[in-house]
Amino acid sequence: MIEVTVFYYLVLSVIIFSIGAYGMLSSKNGVRLLMSIEIMLNAVNINLVAFSSFQGNLTGQVFAAFTIAIAAAEATVGLAILLALYRSFGTVNLRKISKMRW
Amino acid sequence: MIVEYAWIIPLLPAIAFLLIVLFGKGRKEGGGYIAVSLIGTSMILSLLTIAEVVLTGKGYESTGINWLGIKGFQFGLLVDQLSSIMLFVVSVIGFVIIVYSLGYMKGDHDVQRYYAEMSLFIASMLALVISSNLVLFFIAWEFVGLSSYLLIGFWYRKPSAASAAKKAFLVTRVGDIMLLAGIIILYINLGTVNIRELFVLAPHANVGMLTLATLLIFGGAVGKSSQFPLHVWLPDAMEGPTTVSALIHAATMVTAGIFLVARVYPLFTPESLMVVAWIGGITALMAAAMAVVMTDIKRVIAYSTISHLGFMTVALGVGGYFAGIFHLFNHSFFKALLFLCAGAVIHATHTQDIHDMGGLWKKMPITGTAFFIGAWSLSGFPPWSGFWSKDVILDNVYAYNHVLFAITAGAVILSAVYIFRLFIIVFMGKEGKATKHAHEVSRVMTTPLIALSIGALFSGFLVFFGLKSFLMKSLPGNLVGALDKASAISAGTHEYITYFSISLVAIGIITVWAVYSLKIVEARSIRHTFSPIHTILINKFYIDHIYLFISKKIIWNISVIVDYIDEYFVDGTVNGIGKLSIAFGRKLRKLQTGVVQDYAAWVLFGTGIILIIFKAKGGMI
Repeated sequence: MIEVTVFYYLVLSVIIFSIGAYGMLSSKNGVRLLMSIEIMLNAVNINLVAFSSFQGNLTGQVFAAFTIAIAAAEATVGLAILLALYRSFGTVNLRKISKMRW
Repeated sequence: MIVEYAWIIPLLPAIAFLLIVLFGKGRKEGGGYIAVSLIGTSMILSLLTIAEVVLTGKGYESTGINWLGIKGFQFGLLVDQLSSIMLFVVSVIGFVIIVYSLGYMKGDHDVQRYYAEMSLFIASMLALVISSNLVLFFIAWEFVGLSSYLLIGFWYRKPSAASAAKKAFLVTRVGDIMLLAGIIILYINLGTVNIRELFVLAPHANVGMLTLATLLIFGGAVGKSSQFPLHVWLPDAMEGPTTVSALIHAATMVTAGIFLVARVYPLFTPESLMVVAWIGGITALMAAAMAVVMTDIKRVIAYSTISHLGFMTVALGVGGYFAGIFHLFNHSFFKALLFLCAGAVIHATHTQDIHDMGGLWKKMPITGTAFFIGAWSLSGFPPWSGFWSKDVILDNVYAYNHVLFAITAGAVILSAVYIFRLFIIVFMGKEGKATKHAHEVSRVMTTPLIALSIGALFSGFLVFFGLKSFLMKSLPGNLVGALDKASAISAGTHEYITYFSISLVAIGIITVWAVYSLKIVEARSIRHTFSPIHTILINKFYIDHIYLFISKKIIWNISVIVDYIDEYFVDGTVNGIGKLSIAFGRKLRKLQTGVVQDYAAWVLFGTGIILIIFKAKGGMI
């Protein structure tokens, strides 16, 4: 039986964060981008909960709860923006929505 | 008592200036009556002030307002005997001329501006006269220069008036810069600009420094009082209204330079006084010679003014402190009178060329008589005012240097020649073409003429009522002794010089009478015989040509070089930096792709860099 230290949690968090970051940078679809951001946020949540649990301090868990609530709000706003973009551009392909450039 | 309220004297014309500017429009005479009433009140107040100075025999100096907390910059008033005399001249002649203007400027389309600028001038001139320190003096001095500029260019739609105003401003500016430099030198070395404190410190100061400072201050006087070589602006300044010429360019502003020299007289060293004397002598003779050949009535009087300012300067230069100021006092009456007469003549004939005039005596008896009084007084023939001051001046000059005496005596003969030439051509002889429709001017113009005639006749007699001892009180005691000792040398020759000067004037008058009235010799044939001299004189000794050469050829070319440097080196550097950042920005803006993920990638990249630095520093930022 291996002893599960905080290190394992951090490795998991890094893996999930990297997956999210890759998804955020590479996906063409705006909805996939929002989902990738959610993954990155959850990676952070794992970090917070892990530190909280290992240090016996509840602050981290409270923070995680906050993050979840704010992520929900962020998703709402993000989806609303995407909806508005879809209405005016007829697409959610982020490469094509690049009007604000030089 | 009253003298403590002397600050109100310049304040009243300043209020008149503001009132006329704000409310003069549409009022009768463009607010001229506001100017007359407030300047009149100011005159009464200054007469009361002068009366108090005369009765108590003491000058008054206010403690002053500390300006900007700088040591030695106390803005206060100094009303001593010298200021009283100037105060009298400025306020009385200013008032008389403002009254005369009511008639002279009637019907001009822009009288409001005229009265506003005249009030501004009188206010600044009065402030100049009673300021107790050189910085306040300089501020008033510049205001005087400004209002002179505005009034010369009063008819600014005429190109000649506009350029004359510009010329006067630029030429006097040369002097103003020198004056400012002189004041700065005094302040740096003696630590104060208060005139009376300077008198106390001067005897212990470095003589070389004092000579330099006083020469620079005299440079200011040369510009303002139109002395050689900066005299070129005054004849052109005749483009302004004649009242302006009478007030500013005969009686008050041009004498401000003489007043300045007298004001700081104890600071002058023998070396700088020598320069003052010679400049004055040269100016007196040159200007008098030019006055003989001019054919414009106002220009003749203008050159005469320059010449008489030269007399005052030479008097101050040779140690005749009283002689210079006495002549200033007399001159302002007879010269203002002559200018106002010229104004009346121009008003009646609508020309300034003396050869179009002639026989005006019958048409304009009051003006003619007044002009005759002015001419008599100016020529220095006894017993009227010009004689007394010219006599003292010649006395002092004789005791100083005989060559200078010869120069001054030459100027005295020429004075008699040009003024009676003018009188005979304009008022005697047969009628010229402009004379036919001429008639005597209105009462509002003749009354000031009569008032000034009284001044021109009798102001010289003040010498018998202790004017000299009164004036000398404004100098420190030890200097008075030295000046008295110098003038005592001439005591033995005094009578001969008086007879000599009277006969000089008589020779001048007889010559003119013979040439222009009896026509024993034709004026034209004299001109023909001496045509090279006449050419030089009519071209004003080519001084204007020299200045034009300097400014058009030399200064212009320097300016071209400077302009080149400015355009290609200074501007080039600035524009180069600008172009560089534009080019850099053109490349850099490619980063803004509009794709939101590119920005996110940059954020991640940046965060990564920060984390690497964080790690490299051992976990500390």
